[in-house]
Amino acid sequence: MSVEAPLERDDRPRLQDWAWPRPTRGALMVWLRDWTAWRKFYVSSLLAHFGEPVLSLLALGLGLGLYVTRIQGMSFVEFMGPGLVASTAMNAVSFDLVWGGYDRLHWTRAYDAMMASPLAPEEIAAGELLWQATRAVLYGGFFLLVLAVFGLVRSWTALGVLPVLALTGVVFGGPALAVASLARAEEQLSYYFSLVIQPMFLFSGIFFPVERLGPVLRTAAEFLPLYHVVRLSRALVTGAWRPEMAWSLLVLATFAALAALLPVGFFRKALERIA
Amino acid sequence: MEARDLVKRYGDLVAVAGVGFEVARGECFGFLGPNGAGKSTTIRMITCRIPPTAGELRVLGLDVRRRVPAIKARMGVVSQEDNLDQGLTSFENLVLHGLYYGLGRGEAERRARELLDFMALGEKAEARPQYLSGGQRRRLAIARALVNEPELLVLDEPTTGLDPQARILVWERLAELRDRGVTLVLTTHYMEEATRLSDRLVLMDHGRIIAGGRAQALVRRELGGEVVELSEGGAGAGGEGDGLGARLADFAARHDRLVRRLERTRRGWQLFTPAGEELLRVLEAEGLRTRHHRVREADLEDLFLTMTGRELEER
Repeated sequence: MSVEAPLERDDRPRLQDWAWPRPTRGALMVWLRDWTAWRKFYVSSLLAHFGEPVLSLLALGLGLGLYVTRIQGMSFVEFMGPGLVASTAMNAVSFDLVWGGYDRLHWTRAYDAMMASPLAPEEIAAGELLWQATRAVLYGGFFLLVLAVFGLVRSWTALGVLPVLALTGVVFGGPALAVASLARAEEQLSYYFSLVIQPMFLFSGIFFPVERLGPVLRTAAEFLPLYHVVRLSRALVTGAWRPEMAWSLLVLATFAALAALLPVGFFRKALERIA
Repeated sequence: MEARDLVKRYGDLVAVAGVGFEVARGECFGFLGPNGAGKSTTIRMITCRIPPTAGELRVLGLDVRRRVPAIKARMGVVSQEDNLDQGLTSFENLVLHGLYYGLGRGEAERRARELLDFMALGEKAEARPQYLSGGQRRRLAIARALVNEPELLVLDEPTTGLDPQARILVWERLAELRDRGVTLVLTTHYMEEATRLSDRLVLMDHGRIIAGGRAQALVRRELGGEVVELSEGGAGAGGEGDGLGARLADFAARHDRLVRRLERTRRGWQLFTPAGEELLRVLEAEGLRTRHHRVREADLEDLFLTMTGRELEER
């Protein structure tokens, strides 16, 4: 770094730094950039994100499953499958934008190059969130397909999982871009995974019904977005859709709106920092 | 482009402390100075990446505070650090960048092919940046900055870190662009780059412009254009024992028309003058011509040294 790098800067975003992501034609071009880059290595990338849920399914389902009789009238594998669709989408989105976002800010500086063009930060953010919606559908959908092949999908309503996954992409994309923008060092990125993503994975009702945890934890789970994705996914895959599920859909949509609003202020400041 | 009393502060740190300059259409304008002089900060304000703290800055006739997208649409930027998109091939880097500027896909692809040829990168179209050499990456970055057919191209240290061949290729292309009428603004700490490319330049130090003008005229005006170098030769020569320094200072004071400036260097003395040969004769007549002496043209490096006491390039 040159000596010109300022010693001190006011890094806190102000109110006027925040904005909704702006889905313009420019944002679509950022989406196209991500698609173009992804297409080069999609097979290995899909397989990499596919391995983990499959191993969970095998190890827990077939191993631990021997000791678990039935959960809510389902075998353990049937119970877990739809939940793992949800977590696969969450992981695929979080890894891509937390690490990739940091990468494009600080290592390859691809965002710095975008900022030479008339693209605004809120357009870049919109493109990234659109791409994460796409990714969530691709990765979650791929795992759903595998479940179908193994006969674990009971109803055509399972197709309804795809739009839910798109929302999931935005729900986890927003915080991912915020974390990538806020981090001052690479190590800080992993805190997000150990403190947020991993607990979310364990307590969102993928492996056991959260309802059994008692009223306090049961209420706490309502605040985990992944819990609602898991509920919706399970209901749609097993064909047990009930009108009460609309609540989860509403909560998830609210989370998506908040998640979309979250990153732009931090992202704008990060772009100024690397200018 | 026009700047008046331009200031950029970060907390207590003053990066640019009130500079003013004007750049005409089609001109090549250089910012020259050591690291930390405020060149890059000035460039970031010109490219609308950071707002000025105070003062006026108009780029392409537009206010940088109010017309950011309009300015960016007509400008190309080559930044100091490599910022190519490592997820894309060379060709895709250019096409996507064109799309960010709002070009249609066909047009972006046509320009991408043209620019790869112009920058002698045709064979590397399908390679990703990590498989390119340093010189190739820099050429790709310049090609990318041209994809919107900018009226103004801004380059922050375009050849820093390149080997001589790669540097010369970049210079040739930039000269070609200048001949086509593209306005060039660049920063550099290489004398040769500034002299070869810039019509006019400013010298910056500690956030201020300390001199400016055409390179040769600037040196002639400030230093006289030539320099007589004296040294007594051998290791540790030029000691004060015989009082040569004092005698030269006295000489310089008496011949203020002939000696613009007297500088002590590591190896001896430098006398800046408008007439080197004449000065040497007068020195000889007064018995001040040392065993080792020579006359050469003064350059920007001398100017910078005499004005700041520091060298431009870190050696």
